[in-house]
Amino acid sequence: MSPRILGRAGAYLVLLAGAVVSLVPFYWMAVAATHDTADLFRSPPPFMPGGALMDNLSRLQSEHHFGRVVANSLGVAVVYTVLSSLISAMCGYGLAKYRFRGRGVLLGVVLATMMIPMQVLLVPLFQMMANLGWTDTYQAVILPFLANAFGIFLMRQAFLAFPDELIESARIDGAGDLRIFYQVVLPGVRPQLGALVIFTFTSQWNSFIWPLLMLNTEEKFTVPIALNQMIGLSHVDYSGLMLGSFAATLPIMVVFFVFQRQFVAGLLGGAVKG
Amino acid sequence: MHTNRMKRTRRSVLLAGAIAAAVAVSGCAAGGSSSKKAAPSLTAGSAADIKGDVTVWSWDTAATALKRLAPEFEKQHPGTKINVVDIGYDNAYDKITVGLKSGKGLPDVTTVEGPRFQSFLGSFPNGFYDLSTLAGKYKDQFNQAAWKTATDEKGRTLGLPWDSGPVGVFYRRDLFQKAGVDPNSINTWDDYVKAGEQVKAKTGTKFISLDPAEDNTFSMMLQQQGQGLFKDGKVAVNTPQAVKAMTVLKQLSDKGLVDWARGWDANVSSTKTGKSATTPQAVWWGGTLTGEMKEMSGKWGVFPLPAFEQGGVRTSNNGGSLLTVTSQTKNPKTAWAFTEFMLANTANQVSMLKNEGLFPAFLPALKDPFIARPDPYYGGQAVNKVFADLSSSVPPIEYTKDGAKARELVWTAFAGVALRGKDPKATLDSTAKQIAAATGRQTAG
Amino acid sequence: MAALQTEPAKLESVPVADAPRPRRRRFSLTHWWFTGPATVLFVAFFAYPLAASLYQSFTADQDGATVFVGLRQYRRMFQDPVLAESLVNTALLLVIQVPVMIGLALVLAGVLNASWLRFRGGWRLVYFLPAVTTLVAYSVVFRVLLKTDGGMVNQLLDGIGIGAVDWLNNATWARISLVLSITWRWTGYNAVILLAGLQAIGREQYEAASIDGAGAVTTFVRVIVPQLRPVILFCSITSTIGTLQLFDENYVLTRGGPDNATMTPVLYLYKVGFDQMDFGYAAAIAWVVVLLIGLISLIQFRFLGRGSR
Repeated sequence: MSPRILGRAGAYLVLLAGAVVSLVPFYWMAVAATHDTADLFRSPPPFMPGGALMDNLSRLQSEHHFGRVVANSLGVAVVYTVLSSLISAMCGYGLAKYRFRGRGVLLGVVLATMMIPMQVLLVPLFQMMANLGWTDTYQAVILPFLANAFGIFLMRQAFLAFPDELIESARIDGAGDLRIFYQVVLPGVRPQLGALVIFTFTSQWNSFIWPLLMLNTEEKFTVPIALNQMIGLSHVDYSGLMLGSFAATLPIMVVFFVFQRQFVAGLLGGAVKG
Repeated sequence: MHTNRMKRTRRSVLLAGAIAAAVAVSGCAAGGSSSKKAAPSLTAGSAADIKGDVTVWSWDTAATALKRLAPEFEKQHPGTKINVVDIGYDNAYDKITVGLKSGKGLPDVTTVEGPRFQSFLGSFPNGFYDLSTLAGKYKDQFNQAAWKTATDEKGRTLGLPWDSGPVGVFYRRDLFQKAGVDPNSINTWDDYVKAGEQVKAKTGTKFISLDPAEDNTFSMMLQQQGQGLFKDGKVAVNTPQAVKAMTVLKQLSDKGLVDWARGWDANVSSTKTGKSATTPQAVWWGGTLTGEMKEMSGKWGVFPLPAFEQGGVRTSNNGGSLLTVTSQTKNPKTAWAFTEFMLANTANQVSMLKNEGLFPAFLPALKDPFIARPDPYYGGQAVNKVFADLSSSVPPIEYTKDGAKARELVWTAFAGVALRGKDPKATLDSTAKQIAAATGRQTAG
Repeated sequence: MAALQTEPAKLESVPVADAPRPRRRRFSLTHWWFTGPATVLFVAFFAYPLAASLYQSFTADQDGATVFVGLRQYRRMFQDPVLAESLVNTALLLVIQVPVMIGLALVLAGVLNASWLRFRGGWRLVYFLPAVTTLVAYSVVFRVLLKTDGGMVNQLLDGIGIGAVDWLNNATWARISLVLSITWRWTGYNAVILLAGLQAIGREQYEAASIDGAGAVTTFVRVIVPQLRPVILFCSITSTIGTLQLFDENYVLTRGGPDNATMTPVLYLYKVGFDQMDFGYAAAIAWVVVLLIGLISLIQFRFLGRGSR
């Protein structure tokens, strides 16, 4: 066998081992979702699927209106992802490719909002929303975090690597700034854009503490809040939790599969731009 | 194009506008605004005052109970609407704390656990309605330890106790029998440790499951001796009583009788899989047994908590919650009427014990025949009766706003003594000093 | 903070970015089209909270009123053993966990990017999944896995004759559990970012390197890694921020115990603020955390920004 084949076989083996480590917790989550909560306290805990999946599912629906909760979460996450990704990409581009007074300040602010622990911003932010009369609304869930420092920083770093000559030549061809951005620059960073969408969606989908603080009617609750309802004082619905959590990763998987194609598309973009 | 100056002016205007908008939105809300107002107090109103909407926050089975009984209240008081929100227990206090601190966003009525309510009262003395005039008449009808959790240091009543957590020892009948231990012979903690050794020698099973990070057994043993973490405002975690309690826990650990189980789920799992033969715990633990361990029916029994000396107090308290009317409510009279309807009401309290397993702090409810009913899960023992009898002897204890801080350090002390073999007296002395330093208090020990 | 604001000038020395700039746009307003929306949102939603939390760090709650106490909350920190311990724990994580994780992520991204790899999408998803678990599920699953008595990992270790480990109850092992669980959760996440960066580097660069006869590993280290520097910088800074703000993992696994062995500054300030309702002190700790993150990020900007060329 050639060293190359051996190397690849080795790589596959390592990859496989890592995959098992990554997946074992998910496997157990899936298994737990098919058991009665009482069953999960056995020792050793069950390793094979049980027969309580339908029971758990119907309890999730009847006690926590899981269908509605998922729909709420989807709505919030999609709106947030579209707006926030666009704003991040634009701001990242502005920071990477324009020189202007106050750029350092803006970058500093972006980084500072990442650095300050969320926990101490909750009370003042909550006061603002209450003064606006926005408690129990989705705009209070979405708007404050729409400008996402992480996304802006990610895109700034991506745009830094984008060649200035391409922008300049498009400009010579008479393209305006916005057109250059949408038609020349954005396609060039499609891989990062794909990653940005995945991260933005994931962070909003899993966002818990802020929606919990803002939302006050059960009809408006999102998935993480509904999961939190299953943790009681002297009873925790573990099988419901596991099923709900497992189900909650499915939309993320879909988004991941759709947008990771952008990673591959980026290859073509690279060829075109080169 | 524009001149440089114009551009800058325009930009400044834009920025200034945005800042002005932000300031307007944030209003004058710098700091905990509402907490500066004095606590409103509530006096009796007429039936006509009972109208409109009331929102109640709760969690878990308590929320279930509220949702179940609210329509009855609405029927008795036409024109009212009770809106119960299950906010989940795990992060409920984050939501309530933010509401208290920002002076906004709280519901009319909320559920709070007793000790937590005490620390809220310490930090937000004006966050809740003073119910003294209206609730005062019920004082003698409630479990006094629970009543204390709803009362502040000035003696004002700011909530109505709901359920309580009188403590006993849940034990495995089968293991005790196999080891030849008679639960009725366990009168003191010394007896308890000896029984543990015997059970372990005969059955190989450990005696008690404890949490290495957040265990409340020590606090339970303190309350049993009539004290909390503070006494007369002084730090009391190194009193002779405290040292006695910690020494018992150290003995249990040193003799290998402790099964360490981190977190609620691990604890339940330990019990279900028979890792430990007893659980000194509050009455609500029974709900976990019958809920998650149906197959263990007949194997469990309950005896009163062992005393520190012959004839000493045989119980303590762990848990229990109350309903309180927040000072942010616009409809306090209806809020109180609903609170009263739920809690100072024998029929409702009994029905919540039957349906949701909430053990009443309202003593008249404990006289209901349902309490004395033998329970097949406990081999026919009337366990609710055991707890009901213990209920009135739970010692009330003093709370301060620094309870959470002290509890944190006490957990650490417990881990040091039980897991790392440190000396109880020396460890508690140093913990007392740490708490004193952190809270600006003196030590009592 | 002041130091950071001078940073962008330095950043221009990042290799890929130092192409000549379109000078004539220097004082143009067009950047507002791009940075405007985010700027307005930041000012609208963060100016007040940031200012309020800074102000709060100079106050204390006394008998239901908030009073100004100057630097008292900051002075308290010097006599706080728990905070000191939490900083030591964080330093350990920064020195050990972050580099290991970024290294692993880089290798993983390299392999996931290899042209011969089959089912790439599947592999990527598998490695990304740990980062998307909800926190509640995470906590339950890890406690089931790491339970000392009858936990899955210990059963496995028992099975191969190593013997059980006291994962969450012993100070050293609790720290190791924490490191493992953070690495489990975030390696794939960083690999996805690095992978996106790799994909943005044109295929022709690899080909050029291959024509030169460089082996795969050499190509990766010599050609690809230097080009990835802005992305690696991004991963390092976000991971550093994540570590200095570590909360989720130790909150769900150990609550900072046993005996504060896994306490971190943010978990501590959460307890100080939300359990003990000592908001002034919590805010002061938060701003010290910001200062620390700022300093460390600055060092990273310098080191990775223009370092090894």
